Amino acid sequence: MAIQSIFIVSDNYAVLPEFCAGAKKLADSVTAVVFGDEAAAKEHISCGADKIIFCPVSEEGAPEDYAAPIAALVKEQQKAMVMVNNSIRGRCLAGKLSVYLDTAVLGSVNDLSVENDALFCHRVVYGGTAQRKESFTAPYGVITISAGIFEAPAETSGNAEVLPIAGEPSQPIRRISRNEKKEGAVNLVAAKRIIDVGRGLAAEEDLEMCRNLAKVLDAEVGCSRPVAENNKWMPKACYMGITGVQVKPELIVVLGVSGQVQHIGGINKSKVIVAINKDKAAPIFKNADFGLVGDMYKIVPSLIEKLS
Amino acid sequence: MKIIACCKIVPNEEEITILPDRTLNTAEASLKISQYDLNALESGKVLAAESGGSMAALSIGSSSFLENSKIRKDVLSRGADELNLVIDDAHSFSDSLQTAKAIAAALKAIGSYDVVLCGAGSSDLYLQETGIQVGTLLNLPVVNNVTGIKAASEHTLEVERTLEEEVEVLEVPLPAVLSVSSEINVPSVPSMREIMKAGKKPVNLLSIDEELAPSASIAEQLAPQQQERRQETIEGDNEEAVNALAAFLRKEGF
Repeated sequence: MAIQSIFIVSDNYAVLPEFCAGAKKLADSVTAVVFGDEAAAKEHISCGADKIIFCPVSEEGAPEDYAAPIAALVKEQQKAMVMVNNSIRGRCLAGKLSVYLDTAVLGSVNDLSVENDALFCHRVVYGGTAQRKESFTAPYGVITISAGIFEAPAETSGNAEVLPIAGEPSQPIRRISRNEKKEGAVNLVAAKRIIDVGRGLAAEEDLEMCRNLAKVLDAEVGCSRPVAENNKWMPKACYMGITGVQVKPELIVVLGVSGQVQHIGGINKSKVIVAINKDKAAPIFKNADFGLVGDMYKIVPSLIEKLS
Repeated sequence: MKIIACCKIVPNEEEITILPDRTLNTAEASLKISQYDLNALESGKVLAAESGGSMAALSIGSSSFLENSKIRKDVLSRGADELNLVIDDAHSFSDSLQTAKAIAAALKAIGSYDVVLCGAGSSDLYLQETGIQVGTLLNLPVVNNVTGIKAASEHTLEVERTLEEEVEVLEVPLPAVLSVSSEINVPSVPSMREIMKAGKKPVNLLSIDEELAPSASIAEQLAPQQQERRQETIEGDNEEAVNALAAFLRKEGF
């Protein structure tokens, strides 16, 4: 195989079957490093890994505190790849691991390929303008990867050896409090239909109109970056794009979005793209299956009426 | 509090053109401060004002980027009292650890600081790792995706960090390195006065002596192939046009 050893480091048990299945195709040995107690690790004994190493994070602690012991574990191999779940904590772990292993992080990898026994990581750069193919030149490599890149196995099997991590966590930062987020979680990644709202929307109140269209189409509502980041009309978790959520619904209705590469990179896996925009020259029309050049404030209410 | 905000100068990705062989032409793109670093500069400006401290900016890159006086002024009009530059034409900085090593070396050359601020990720490579790597290289506490910063004492910050499903509040001993989320603020537009003052602020050239070998190499960089779409486009927002859209949706089974 291209690689002897892959270490999967994840703060989320749910991605293990998919990551293990992907890693098994690339490496002889797959070790999953997880965060929780032994009992939790044992529940995932058949995730597909050869070994599960658990880091018993305390109530006050955080997965990031285990970066040094995990790096020591990886260094028992002369060469290895570390595949980290692309979450906020995961990215923090990846950065720390890369320093301890003296190698780069290739982040948000969207494809892995093997050519002549060398592993290549593919990722998007320049806000979606290009796809870069890179390989590590150091003995170790660290990548971050999101769910959905590998094929998830229909069922898992296996009987991993479960062991505790050796070494102690280091905790330079004290947590004062932790609270669950209030905003309702929208799962755009899993949505079958999406209404995509862009800067063409004149006022926050007009989101109501978009929500009404979503209601008649049984869709979720998402947006482009400026709507979430500049206007703050929707939570950041709702913006689609290379740097945001990447969606693959059956239908996406794109309202008042110009269609910059950054945004297209987040929606171009959609099966059918419908675009409504005033500007005939907007690049979104080149990326749409059906486009209406016109005023969304006239089209959307009329469409709601016809679909109701 | 002495704050250092890191900012990267990048070609404006909206002005990058794609050549027929799908390679990129960045030569004609104008320069800009990497978008998310504007959030770091803004956070630093606010924290410096609140703590009665100062902020310096730090940038590392090639001479073609950093010798541009317009971009230097742009950085200095956003709250920094001075600008520290490491001009390096020998390295490509296409790998985040290489960049982080150079920043860590520059911070050592600067000597004293309390808070180092970085943006969430750069507009060009968007690895979202450099800040974490800098802090780890210097053996300092690091936090990413920071959505709030308050000075708790002379030696500690109270930092809010927003994760996917929870918000945590952390007590961070200084010095520390923080990567701020783009949600933390809306960067202010420099005033005329700030722009006027920017030209008079000091620019310090630092030299670093650090082994900066890359640990990854680029095999290929190409524009993505355009996905085939039907591009059936109708002009108009009248009844007829909306009927056509409704018919299309029905035909597709929605």
